[in-house]
Amino acid sequence: MSECQHKWEMTNIQFGFMVFEKCSHCNGLRTYFSVEDNPILGDKYREGDCFWSRVENAQSFQFDLRCKKCNHLEKFEDLMGLLHCTGCLPDCEVEIQRKKYEAQRTWVLVAFGFLPKAKTEPIPPHKLKILEDYFNQRRDTSRSRIAILSFNLIEDLSLCKGDFIHDVGMLSLEPPEERKPLF
Amino acid sequence: MTTRELVEKIRLKPLSKFEPREVDGVFVSDMLSDVMAHAKSGNLWLTVQTHKSIVPAANLVDVSAIVITSGKQVPQETVDLASKYNIAILSTELSTFELVGKLYGLGLGTK
Repeated sequence: MSECQHKWEMTNIQFGFMVFEKCSHCNGLRTYFSVEDNPILGDKYREGDCFWSRVENAQSFQFDLRCKKCNHLEKFEDLMGLLHCTGCLPDCEVEIQRKKYEAQRTWVLVAFGFLPKAKTEPIPPHKLKILEDYFNQRRDTSRSRIAILSFNLIEDLSLCKGDFIHDVGMLSLEPPEERKPLF
Repeated sequence: MTTRELVEKIRLKPLSKFEPREVDGVFVSDMLSDVMAHAKSGNLWLTVQTHKSIVPAANLVDVSAIVITSGKQVPQETVDLASKYNIAILSTELSTFELVGKLYGLGLGTK
């Protein structure tokens, strides 16, 4: 086990798009990262029994984290994005944790993996800890801190109205209670 | 220079409640992904974006304040969230270009 007290920096930054697709046949949802805003297959296509339609295309980026001291590289190709909880579901574990953390001036973000794979293989806890350490190393933690939670704490994804921190819907003035759920 | 001093020198309009803090550099972008990748703690973030997503993005990278330029109207939802996170949202009628000129003249953003 490494004894290095890692000091992380972002590396291998790749700007692109987070693509959200839905199947009109099985109602399945999937997400992936693309460097092209118009993937070759287009907005609608068939894949086996699935009829996929693109429902959202958000400008985002992918990155890895490298330790400046020991050069250890931690890849984050499985990180789809970070979500800010809007407190839409009072009994959701994320909302419960968010209230506890905020009492300690710690702000919560939720890390999503790519769907559907992440539902059975979420981002491992040690990687969430590394991500959390990175963002806390990047700030003055005497004022406030960041905590990163896993998306599988969300009570019901189909009801979640959280906001992803990415570039889409930036002109929306819709209040959370009027917004359609993410998924 | 602190955010409070900047407000006075450039006549920025504070919209949210915040504690003054030292400004360290300036970052100009209207893309959250760009801010998350490149902005530094203490930066003054200039943008025309007013959606409330700018607040968690600003909080994540610990900017000293967000300045909304070009007189863009900021929704109350965004202001309330910023007050909750103790993040300064300041407003100006100046364009981003004009504001950058003034900040540069004050010595911000230069090393």
